[in-house]
Amino acid sequence: MSRLSTGGLIDRTRPLKFTFDGKQYSGFEGDTLAAALLANEVRLVARSFKYHRPRGILTAGTEEPNALVTLREGARAEPNSKATAVPLYDGLVASSQNRWPSLGFDLLALNQLASPIFVAGFYYKTFMRPAALWEKLYEPLIRRAAGLGALSGLPDPDSYDRKHAFCDLLVIGAGPSGLAAALTAGRSGLRVILADDDMAMGGHLLKERSEIAGAAGADWAAGVVEELASYPNVTLLPRTGVFGVYDGHEYGAVERVSDHLPEPLPGQPRQRFWKIVARHALLASGAIERPLIFPGNDRPGVMMASAVSAYLNRFAVAPGKKAAIFTSCDTGWQTALDLQAAGIGVAAVVDTRAQMPALADRLDLSDCVVALQGAIVDIKGSKSVKGATIRDGSGKETSVVCDLVAMSGGWNPAIGLGSNFGNRPVWSEELNAFLLDKAPPGFSPVGSAAGRMSLTSALGDGIRAATEVVQQLGKSPAEMAIADVAETGGTSENMLWVPSGIEGKAFVDFQNDVTASDIKLAASEGFVSIEHLKRYTTMGMATDQGKLSQLNGHGLLAEETKKTIAEAGTIMSRPPYTPIALGVIAGHHRGEHFRPVRHTASHDWAAENGAAFVDVGQWKRAQWFVQPGETEWRTSVDREVKATRGGVGICDVSTLGKIDVLGPDAATLLDRLYANMFSTLPVGRARYGLMLREDGFVMDDGTATRFAEDRYYVTTTTANAARVMQHIDFARQVIWPELDVQATSVTEQWATYSIAGPQSRAVLQALLPDIDLTNEAFKFMAAGEYRWRGTKIRLFRVSFSGELAYEISIGANRGRQLLEAIMEAGAPFGIVPYGTEALGVMRIEKGHPAGNEMNGQTTAGDLGMGRMLSTKKDFIGRAMAQRPGLTDPGRMSLVGLKPIDPAATLRAGAHLLAKGAEPKAANVQGRVTSAAFSPTLGYSIALALVTGGQERIGEEMLLNDIVRATDVPVEICDAVFVDPAGERLRG
Amino acid sequence: MDKVDFISRRENVSLAAVMARKGVTAADIGGALAFEVPKEPAYRSGSGLGLVGTGPGTWLALSETLDNEWPSALEAALGSLASVSDQSSGYAMYRLSGANARELLQRGATIDLDPLAFTAGSAATTVISHIGVAFWQLDDTPAYDLVVFRSMRESLEHWFESVAASL
Amino acid sequence: MRIPCPYCGDRDSQEFVYRGDASPVRPADPAEETEFFDYVYLRENPAGPIDELWYHAQGCRNWITLTRDTRDHAISAARLTSEGKSA
Repeated sequence: MSRLSTGGLIDRTRPLKFTFDGKQYSGFEGDTLAAALLANEVRLVARSFKYHRPRGILTAGTEEPNALVTLREGARAEPNSKATAVPLYDGLVASSQNRWPSLGFDLLALNQLASPIFVAGFYYKTFMRPAALWEKLYEPLIRRAAGLGALSGLPDPDSYDRKHAFCDLLVIGAGPSGLAAALTAGRSGLRVILADDDMAMGGHLLKERSEIAGAAGADWAAGVVEELASYPNVTLLPRTGVFGVYDGHEYGAVERVSDHLPEPLPGQPRQRFWKIVARHALLASGAIERPLIFPGNDRPGVMMASAVSAYLNRFAVAPGKKAAIFTSCDTGWQTALDLQAAGIGVAAVVDTRAQMPALADRLDLSDCVVALQGAIVDIKGSKSVKGATIRDGSGKETSVVCDLVAMSGGWNPAIGLGSNFGNRPVWSEELNAFLLDKAPPGFSPVGSAAGRMSLTSALGDGIRAATEVVQQLGKSPAEMAIADVAETGGTSENMLWVPSGIEGKAFVDFQNDVTASDIKLAASEGFVSIEHLKRYTTMGMATDQGKLSQLNGHGLLAEETKKTIAEAGTIMSRPPYTPIALGVIAGHHRGEHFRPVRHTASHDWAAENGAAFVDVGQWKRAQWFVQPGETEWRTSVDREVKATRGGVGICDVSTLGKIDVLGPDAATLLDRLYANMFSTLPVGRARYGLMLREDGFVMDDGTATRFAEDRYYVTTTTANAARVMQHIDFARQVIWPELDVQATSVTEQWATYSIAGPQSRAVLQALLPDIDLTNEAFKFMAAGEYRWRGTKIRLFRVSFSGELAYEISIGANRGRQLLEAIMEAGAPFGIVPYGTEALGVMRIEKGHPAGNEMNGQTTAGDLGMGRMLSTKKDFIGRAMAQRPGLTDPGRMSLVGLKPIDPAATLRAGAHLLAKGAEPKAANVQGRVTSAAFSPTLGYSIALALVTGGQERIGEEMLLNDIVRATDVPVEICDAVFVDPAGERLRG
Repeated sequence: MDKVDFISRRENVSLAAVMARKGVTAADIGGALAFEVPKEPAYRSGSGLGLVGTGPGTWLALSETLDNEWPSALEAALGSLASVSDQSSGYAMYRLSGANARELLQRGATIDLDPLAFTAGSAATTVISHIGVAFWQLDDTPAYDLVVFRSMRESLEHWFESVAASL
Repeated sequence: MRIPCPYCGDRDSQEFVYRGDASPVRPADPAEETEFFDYVYLRENPAGPIDELWYHAQGCRNWITLTRDTRDHAISAARLTSEGKSA
């Protein structure tokens, strides 16, 4: 065990058991998985992406590129979890990834020997020929050898939630500046949300031995968090990562509600998606330490200096017994002090600079090699560090024995979120780092994210920024003073050190196995822009998105291309800042709840009566009703059609769009919306209507019924209900706002049933004995409002099937009651319920165009309805429908098709060729839009759009179906197959 | 829905869409109905009626008196001031009550329901879980009434149940 | 993204249906075909502020004219389209 006997922010009274690669260990409450592994002296935790090199724990945060593990087992297994960010819980199970057969002995590490072919862009070069082998051999091979963890492939057993929040100030990050800002705003009465990725709030205060107001930094942070928690106007969100900035002051965040538990508590989601609208946001995300580039810098035991300090101070874990420090700034020296304070020997401090910092005075330098203007040039050991070779300013090399190397290349402000809006960061000569020049509206970086690196300046900056927000919102800021700050670290320049003349694998991007020589190779091959460099070398890709590697890589590229780093620039980041689970974006919307489902009033009745349902938009519609003994859907559909045409059938048509158009100018508006005339429609009559789009093509059809001079009731197709409502609102609000007309959707109000067939009148008369339904009294297209058992109903004599038919509507609350009453009244007449499939068959038999024909590319003329276009008035689409291209007699127009051989099957989508024509695109003269077997006729029929249309009736053509490899000779016929004279529906 | 103790179905409420004619103001409507009719998204009641502002010049009218003639009395009172359309069957209606009610709605609606922003009398027509809803706050309990298109009530109830389980 | 609805207040953009440029005005009948052609098809594509139409489909069901800068999505004005052009 390398647990220190004292210190740390862990709870030693709460030991936790966990398993890594099948072996059991223990840690404490407050540990991360990485801390607990280190405490158990587990150094080797992963294999690298490409070369399968042994990797350890590099950092102590979410920027970790190496220590990626699969957390949990079975369906809950989550690959690529960062051990450095996983809170330890009792019973945690984790395993290593990307190794075979085991982590300690990985045969695929042989890839290293083949490393000359695994250089930058290797897959563009090496596996090119023969091309046929790519899919069969190369790609599967590469996918197996290179990669990250694997998904379980099992359905996710957990649930995900969503919440919307609104605040005056969102503080992203609860380090020194974030806490100071939240405290200022909270005390000033602002609505504040403070979110931090970590399980504990305090940021670097938890990891450093600083002091504020006479207390340890971590204690001060705990006190601030306690005070903030007491304010009703402050929301604290630990374990919550803000991952994106969006337009309109919106922020996306994921709260890991249950990830610190073995599994979510009953009813609780695993994670919660937060959509936060914040009038102001402060990016207090701190800074990320840069690695140094030297051979062997990826060996287990080489760690970021700040991570070494974090393991010592926060987790009371010694990541090694003897350390060497390699630094280009004061941070390495501070880590050396932290190590010595914990009783761990420091074998060497190597600084790239020429002078020792003031900090060094506090270090015990006996038994410690100090090399200025120096570098570590080699690391001994493979699965763990065994020593380091140091070259000093004079070129002299010394070897030291150590099992830990702490490196620090300076600090990069963590500004990723601030570049979400396309703001390219700019180079600061003063800080040797990229900073945000411009930020999204209402968003500003603060503290070390803004380059205020010292504790004093970060705290002050947090107070300043929050005070400004309070003032902008017209409130009075609380007086703030934070006294007696004892800094850790130093204030020296934060230099960017780019090494030269290194030999051996010196990693720039640990996660993608991109080395310094890869960057040079890419530059020499002409990939000199940072964006191209990223795509070519993969530097900055995958789960860490280059949080550690980016700047070093760009520094090397600048060096290679003889540019300054300011000229080379850096990339912008896009959401998510850290990876998020797709499940949390989907939230409740998965499986059968993927989208809302709409049920009609008699849905349950249909289900109880054998309905098979089909999705029509969000609606569930009965497609057919299975009777006992029916095993084929066609049997059910054929029976429903025959029963309806031979007797009577009933169909739930409640899903049709229904709109009340009301007011003194209702008639005027409908005249302008429909191609045909509606102002002349008498009260108590319905009329079929056709709507065009303004470009002259058909938009939708339906009926409009006039119930009073100023009351029309409009129906639309199911598919276009919302679009027509929007179209009507556009016409009355945008085009003709001067009209006094109101409109509202009543789709949900009315349950509507179509009763069709020669016996439909008799059924209705039995249901409604007091109404005179004789043909003389209630003609085709008549409509009226009546009562049924005291409740208002509406009756329409309209037909879609071509039969004598009625539609009856009632308030949907009584829809099922009415349907049951009709079934009862219809029983003596053999009434059957029919579904959308029979409805479709009957409308094809009757030649009624529907969605397949009104497909947005057809004109009224194409559908045989050209005469409906009124010449007496203006209407939407009138002018454009007259264009030569839309009135060309050569356009494809609607006809019917019947097979020469009555046994042949016609299928939708097939193409029509002139008899004897070669089957190629240029010869296609039409296509089938709808096809069905007609039980009425006893053979397959179809509706088709054909060049020349009606002119070709009687002509034999070939129906060519390339997809299903069939050729069927057909005869063009009139689109109306059944009762062309319309005697049935008028009888 | 039985599993959620702070949400109950409200049956037997008559509903209608009230749409002001051209040039008619909320004050004109209020004059005819003898109570202050909101011109903003808000809920007001009087004369045995409740009116929820759903848009400029449009309201959802509510009456708890069951009446086969609904909404003819309302139409008669408004005369040529407004068009009226019966919606009694168009919506399912719920009463949500207690601290959990606000939290539940905030999980769903992308509007600010903090007492600073949404108080007794406030109303909103919006979306919860991709489902169109309208709700209004009745008092500071807080209690809310909510309507959803009847065809989507099962989907909304499923959402109610799954969110309520986490509260 | 949030859209300021003049009636409902700030709302999530998912409640709205986007249409596009608000400037084309439907020609009064009778009109030349070319005038309708311009109305139906021709649109400016400015880099900068543009008046455009949004329908608050999941809210007050009103058409709204927004002034939005196409470069940064900043919305500087919003009004009910039925109330006509602002001064």
